[in-house]
Amino acid sequence: MPIRILSPEIASQIAAGEVVERPASVVKELLENSLDAEATFVSIKIEGAGQRLIEVTDNGSGISETELPIAVERHATSKLSTSQDLFHITTLGFRGEALASIGSVARLTITSRPLDADVGTRLKVDAGHSSPIEPVGAPVGTQVRVEDLFYNVPARLKFLKHETTERRLIDNLVTRYALAYPQVRFHLFQENKPALQTSGNGDRREILAALFGVEQARQMLDVLAQDDWMHVTGFISPTSLTRSHRRDITFFVNGRPVQDAALAAALLKGYHTLLMVGRYPIAVLFLQMPPELVDVNVHPAKAEVRFREPERIFTGLQGAIRRALLAYTPVPGLQAQLRWAPENPPAPTSRQIDPAWNLDQVSARKGWQVEMQPELDRQPTDELPGGAAHALAGQPSFPDTRVPILRLVGQVANAYLVAEGPDGLYLIDQHAAHERVLFERFMSQLPEVLPSQSLLQPATVDLPPANARLLTDQLPFLARLGFQVETFGPHTFLVRAVPNLLAGSDPAAALRVLVEDFEEDETPLQAEREARLVARVCKRAAVKAGHALSPDEQRALLSDLEACQSPRTCPHGRPTMIHLSVDLLERQFGRRGAR
Amino acid sequence: MKVTVLQENLAHGLSIVSRAVSPRSTLPVLANVLMATDEGRLRLSATNLELGITCWIGAKIEEDGSTTVPARTFTDLVSTLSDREVGMSLNVRTQTLNVRCGASNTDLKCIDAQEFPPMPAVDTSDGLQIKVSELKEMIQQVVFAASTDDARPILTGVLMTVKGGKVTLAAADGFRLSVRKADLASTSGHSISAVIPARALSELARIASDGEQLVTMVMPRGRGQVVFRTKDVELVSQLIDGTFPDYEQIIPTKFKTRAVLSTSAFLKACRQAEIFAREGSHIARINILATGELQPGSVEISGQSEETGSNQNIVEATIEGPNILIAFNVRFLREVLDVIRTPNVALETSTDTAPGMLRPVGAQVADGEFLHVIMPMHLGS
Ligand SMILES: Nc1ncnc2c1ncn2[C@@H]1O[C@H](COP(=O)(O)OP(=O)(O)O)[C@@H](O)[C@H]1O
Ligand SMILES: [Mg+2]
Repeated sequence: MPIRILSPEIASQIAAGEVVERPASVVKELLENSLDAEATFVSIKIEGAGQRLIEVTDNGSGISETELPIAVERHATSKLSTSQDLFHITTLGFRGEALASIGSVARLTITSRPLDADVGTRLKVDAGHSSPIEPVGAPVGTQVRVEDLFYNVPARLKFLKHETTERRLIDNLVTRYALAYPQVRFHLFQENKPALQTSGNGDRREILAALFGVEQARQMLDVLAQDDWMHVTGFISPTSLTRSHRRDITFFVNGRPVQDAALAAALLKGYHTLLMVGRYPIAVLFLQMPPELVDVNVHPAKAEVRFREPERIFTGLQGAIRRALLAYTPVPGLQAQLRWAPENPPAPTSRQIDPAWNLDQVSARKGWQVEMQPELDRQPTDELPGGAAHALAGQPSFPDTRVPILRLVGQVANAYLVAEGPDGLYLIDQHAAHERVLFERFMSQLPEVLPSQSLLQPATVDLPPANARLLTDQLPFLARLGFQVETFGPHTFLVRAVPNLLAGSDPAAALRVLVEDFEEDETPLQAEREARLVARVCKRAAVKAGHALSPDEQRALLSDLEACQSPRTCPHGRPTMIHLSVDLLERQFGRRGAR
Repeated sequence: MKVTVLQENLAHGLSIVSRAVSPRSTLPVLANVLMATDEGRLRLSATNLELGITCWIGAKIEEDGSTTVPARTFTDLVSTLSDREVGMSLNVRTQTLNVRCGASNTDLKCIDAQEFPPMPAVDTSDGLQIKVSELKEMIQQVVFAASTDDARPILTGVLMTVKGGKVTLAAADGFRLSVRKADLASTSGHSISAVIPARALSELARIASDGEQLVTMVMPRGRGQVVFRTKDVELVSQLIDGTFPDYEQIIPTKFKTRAVLSTSAFLKACRQAEIFAREGSHIARINILATGELQPGSVEISGQSEETGSNQNIVEATIEGPNILIAFNVRFLREVLDVIRTPNVALETSTDTAPGMLRPVGAQVADGEFLHVIMPMHLGS
């Protein structure tokens, strides 16, 4: 084919493809425009999963009669004037491309009336061809109707997913914006049925329920941390509430939803060792920072950003997450409806927060929310307040993360310790508890090379090639752990010494479990891999169920656990203890009426 | 069955066999003790299928017979009987044992002796003999070095080799090795090499009380068992299958530094160091210092941990060879020093990464009678 300059029509369709990929991207652009116009009420109507109709109506500033024809031109924006402004963007839009793009792939009708105008103006654009504007009667604000999306780009149409998927994407998008802007009233109608209605009263938890259901929303933990240059608010799930995928992790940076692998990694690091392998938290987090710290001009759909000081942001975020988690990770309590029949054993995974246990935390949390209130009134685009109340480091208002002082009652089934606390009974899994104790001890000693115990005779270990490669990569770290391992053949290793902690168990087996099913891609960060290796060593070294412990050993384990930073879960995320509150016991024994 | 026994004999017999009772077995009868009349005596037996213990006590037998009594209940009952004589008679049909002692009268539900695993009689006429006191000491000097990790069953056993009138016990857990040799009371033409569970040997050391007696050992052909028999007690244990590591090659043949010091002072120093090393990593640092030509040298034993603090002890010692600083697991040291009976002990080392060897020192110990090898620890940075 000869080389030709593309017709303006095709060129604009290609450009549009970058911005407008699917109905949800149209909704996103229109919503952002409404929010930039400082609307306090946005109503969205979707028909035919957005393909037939997307209509966004707001009560914002409106577009004047003279500006309306310009608004639909490519690179027409009221939000930037100098290139300097690009580095200080406080609006969601700035590229001036959305309306033009939408107009080139659909039938677009904009009706708008600014506050100071007596009548509104209407402009129609059909597949890139605008008709002259006409005056119409209209309320203050803007209504944008997008009909027959992609009708002139059949190739795009083919790529759309099933209607339910497209609808769900829109639902998710609008709900997340509603969360980011709780002072704005949102109404979303899908196929003439209300899908979301927020009150605009600033209560985010209410909106959270729309996203995750009342039960899960109730469980979500508040995050609030702030220092001179960053402010983090939002919600994260407790360790008991997880997903098998990362799709429910959402970040807003300066009011803009962004996909950022590094932010997600920082979040996961905050959860480190508290979640089981392959499980991911739910999170909706809002990061506010001075606009000059984020470059938003990276991606046509503005879905990616670049941070000027990524390390500070990631460590700050990770710390905020960790503290929120530790503060709120309750000891799993038994659900009151559990019966004590043997065929219905108390599942350790049921983690209803027990009221009695949580008494302290509940009050702490109340105080917390009172504190949070002023934050909620702030627009997400607000400048960071100077002299922040809380620094990211050290949150005095977090409740105690530790377990209370426990009095040992004894050991049952050679597997569990029974202990009494100020608020009832605790069942402690000796293996999980010991794992946690060892893990924290190990990690605290790790900056140094740990002592190791030589073997009488070196043990030979053959490994499958993939494991051998991983082991070879990790030999320097393993040496710091106390493993003295030499390569002996392509996939054969000689173990000469093992960590002192593992003296007593089979060295070859110990080395083998370290690298067994260790997927390299799963944890790209060396620090994370190291922690996983340590967790495996601890799992191996920890006292097993079925092992009788002397009363002294039981007491020692309890007090070691009390001293842990995260005493409530083992390094692999399983609970170390179950709590039976006095309240629960009383109810179970019928001493107090069910509440 | 109708017998009369002395309460103290019965209590003693039960305490001996009760160690082989397995109360939580899926076979209920294993929670019981077999009681059977046996050539004018009463035989008590218990087994957990790995280990079986039998004890014979004197009895006045009016009527032969056998049954199995619940070990726990019966032991509790017997220990509270206050009269000298205990009369027992079995109702065979109902398997109820009537126990009378003074004013006390008990009917005990039993399980038919038929259900008890058979404990075949063994011919001990051809066995090897060794003095009980000697065997006990041998056992105590090696069992602690056996592994407790079931992942490597062979190391949970003690290798017993018999060759040319000498018997050797060896145990190793991968980090230390304990070897003890002794002469047999009777020479035998057989050579034996078998791995006996350390647990069984510990039990044997516990129940074989009369030191002057002889204990006879046999390994009945094809049964994979070892039988130890004294006049009143028999212990049968399964052997462990597998090849025991060739330990001879691990034993160092040379050393550079040798320290001879008081066993009890060394032990005491280790006990103290262990208190401080416990929290950390069980490390004891051993600093062997040869001072001057004519002055005695010293061995400094220290333990420390971040949480508890640190502790040092200096023990006078006769040193040959260069100074050395070496680290050992303090528990390993303490456990071996605990079983060394001579007033002095020798610690032989070459480098801080080479094995250390401990052996008793004294005119009364034969060369190579007992030796213990411990692998050192590497201190981190
Ligand atoms: N809902 C609205 N209310 C007020 N003004 C609007 C609205 N939508 C669009 N505009 C105006 O149209 C211009 C172009 O919009 P758009 O193409 O989305 O570009 P951008 O948002 O990047 O500036 C905006 O700069 C704004 O001035
Ligand atoms: Mg825009």
